Amino acid sequence: MEQITYDKLQETLYHEKMDNGLEVYVLPKPGFSKTYATFSTKYGSIDNHFKVEGQEGIKVPDGIAHFLEHKMFEEPEGDIFSTFASNGASANAFTSFNQTVYLFSATDHVYQNLETLVNFVQHPYFTDQNVEKEKGIIGQEIGMYQDNPDWRVYFGLIEALYKVHPVHIDIAGTVESIGTITKETLYTCYNAFYHPSNMLLFVVGGVDPEKVFTLVRDNQNKKNYPPQGQIERIFKDEPESVAESKKVTHLPVSLPKCLFGFKDTHLGFTGEQLIRRDLVTKLMLDLLFGSSTKLYQKLYDLELISDSFGHEYNSDPNYSFSAIGGDTRDPDLLIATIKEEVAKLSETGFSREDFERAVKKKIGGFLRMMNSPENIAHEFTRYHFRGGDLFSVIQMYESMTLEEVNDRLREHANWNQLAVSVVVSPK
Amino acid sequence: MTTTLFERGQVNQIRIHVLPTKRFKTFAISLYAGIPLREDTVTTTALTPFVLRRGTVSYPETTLFREQLEHMYGAGFGFDVYKRGDYQIVHFRMDTINDSFVQSADSLLGQSFAFLGEAVTRPVTERNGFRSSYVKAEKDNVRKKLESIINDKIRYAAERCIEEMFKDDVYRLHPLGRREELESITEESLYQAYGKWLTDVHLDLYVVGDTTLEEVSSLVQKNFKLDRKNSPEYRAQSSDFSPKEARTVVERLDINQGKLNMGLRTPIIYGDDRYAAALMYSGILGSYPHSKLFVNVREKASLAYYAASRYDGHKGLTTIQSGIEIANYEKALKIIKEQLESLRQGEISDLEMSQTKAMIRNQLREMQDSAFEMIAYDFNRVLSGKDRPAEELLSQVEAVTKQDVVDAAHTFHLDTIYFLTGRKEE
Repeated sequence: MEQITYDKLQETLYHEKMDNGLEVYVLPKPGFSKTYATFSTKYGSIDNHFKVEGQEGIKVPDGIAHFLEHKMFEEPEGDIFSTFASNGASANAFTSFNQTVYLFSATDHVYQNLETLVNFVQHPYFTDQNVEKEKGIIGQEIGMYQDNPDWRVYFGLIEALYKVHPVHIDIAGTVESIGTITKETLYTCYNAFYHPSNMLLFVVGGVDPEKVFTLVRDNQNKKNYPPQGQIERIFKDEPESVAESKKVTHLPVSLPKCLFGFKDTHLGFTGEQLIRRDLVTKLMLDLLFGSSTKLYQKLYDLELISDSFGHEYNSDPNYSFSAIGGDTRDPDLLIATIKEEVAKLSETGFSREDFERAVKKKIGGFLRMMNSPENIAHEFTRYHFRGGDLFSVIQMYESMTLEEVNDRLREHANWNQLAVSVVVSPK
Repeated sequence: MTTTLFERGQVNQIRIHVLPTKRFKTFAISLYAGIPLREDTVTTTALTPFVLRRGTVSYPETTLFREQLEHMYGAGFGFDVYKRGDYQIVHFRMDTINDSFVQSADSLLGQSFAFLGEAVTRPVTERNGFRSSYVKAEKDNVRKKLESIINDKIRYAAERCIEEMFKDDVYRLHPLGRREELESITEESLYQAYGKWLTDVHLDLYVVGDTTLEEVSSLVQKNFKLDRKNSPEYRAQSSDFSPKEARTVVERLDINQGKLNMGLRTPIIYGDDRYAAALMYSGILGSYPHSKLFVNVREKASLAYYAASRYDGHKGLTTIQSGIEIANYEKALKIIKEQLESLRQGEISDLEMSQTKAMIRNQLREMQDSAFEMIAYDFNRVLSGKDRPAEELLSQVEAVTKQDVVDAAHTFHLDTIYFLTGRKEE
């Protein structure tokens, strides 16, 4: 058991890597009633083409990682939700572009619930019948998202930005693509990506770290995992340019929704570099579009944006893009106005005063996040899978320079790399 | 369960509730401002906080106001407007990090109170009212918010169901007010309404964090200078209704997925001794993944991705929501009605009882780890006049019998079936 102390945060993290490769982290929160645990695999919607060392390469149907997540909850003796409920645990799971996370929170029977979590995720049970049944449920989930203009404008943007990279494929797939999923394809994906060496268990709350490690160690020792070869994720070359400059979707909305973003061309960052670039970009976007900026106020005064206006940045070693926007009466005017202001700021750069205030805000935001066991577990896992350390974020902010942020503005806000997605009401 | 008790006081006719604890890295501050829900004040009350967050005497420009929050290490500041029973609540929240984590010249708690106090009591004004450009912009903003409800079909269906269910009751009003009234509001009329609101409103101020009642009291004294004659008490009432045949409302929009929502009324409200039984009823019906709705509508019939219920103990109602294939309306409706009937008939297994108790117990205990959830739970006490610590509710839930659930089930009456469907006949 390794112990890592973060004095400034007043937190101590415990870590152990199991013999089969499973990474286990425990963050005790003295005084907390609940325990929150996530069991995650570095496997998401983008991993649709892969090759396990010593095996043939394979392409799998869109939406299969998410389908697999749904199906994991079924065990021969029934629904695992029922087992969790008997022990007072609230369980759930989610799938993103690059990870699948299973979780529970509980105040009672914590170690028993932890064992349930580890066991059900390590025990696939797929039958022709239970796979077919799930297609109806996920079909409704897809239908729900199809009617959601926020989701549609977001995915519309990614589709406009990316031509080849699977990040542009809806995480749940389509009714047609999930129609082709069988129990065999599910097992293939399961066997490739649910090996313990591709997974991470994070436990935060009122627990004793030694007890957690002993439980997990004993549990894993009873299971026989042969060593797994390297998983090669295959991504065909993505062109530098955007797939289309503007994508229009029709849905009934009170005002048009407009989201635009820049597609980065300089890729391949990993580990700490990737994380730093991520944080620098987010800080830069906040200095541009945050609700205290002059630009934000100008757009608000022109009634071009509302409280729905926001921004985000998504990065991975082989794709990264920003997404900026919200409801607007005039998407073209919104972008034209922003373009003008961004050009001015690229020229002058941000002021030191604004930069320092933004850093303070980010540090405060990070500390507030540390109150939430859920956020700690999710963020820690996300950082870890990308080769970074969540708890080093404050130091990164403290070492950030104004020049770095200004350079990033000039690099990222490249109007040749712009794509726009709008949702408007049908005529 | 670790029970931490709020310490209480009153300053300037504001009730103060403080929970001193070192468990969190922040100070959580909530100010609840509630008045009876009324047609003639609902819109001005809803609009007021939007204008207040634009600027104060010290920070008259919105950018300055927001920059000040960033100087305080990005303190969180926000508000919500919602209904609790027949009250319209404006809930201001601040979330500020504890000074021990950063180097700060002045106490961040003190700065937060100065900020919140000023935001609520000293808005920037011109001539006889609020700054006119702010009122104009925020009227437009609230109008857009009301109009945008239709974008999110899940929320739209839920709100339309409530509106139909209470079409002859003040509860039909949306907490953000009436769109048609916004136009006629001026900077003067809103300022007058604000003055009256500040005099009449019920004010409860909560702080959870590393502080004391004394410290908070003196901060309130210093930062909330209000001319109030009294501090009114909330009066919770079980709403009158006579069970009648359920009404079906069908609405059409350009959508793929149908939304089937239902509303049930009950005389059981938060202060009622049967409250724990009503919680159990809704839990067994549809609050969890082991509940009847999830198991039967989703897992067995494969008809929906979500099918759930929620009990509102302030108004005395339970709502059911599900998203289904339009063609499956009759099938889904039949299955949901069967679940309601099976609860009335007492078709409840021991496992359903024990699982639901375990889930409610977990929820009540988990609350203790979130400052804002502890505050929200305690505020129920203020709203309902019923002092029932979480621990007491927990033992009441443990004691609920199957018969209690069946008895509770008989108090829930299906009132409205609302179906949001596509434009085309299928």
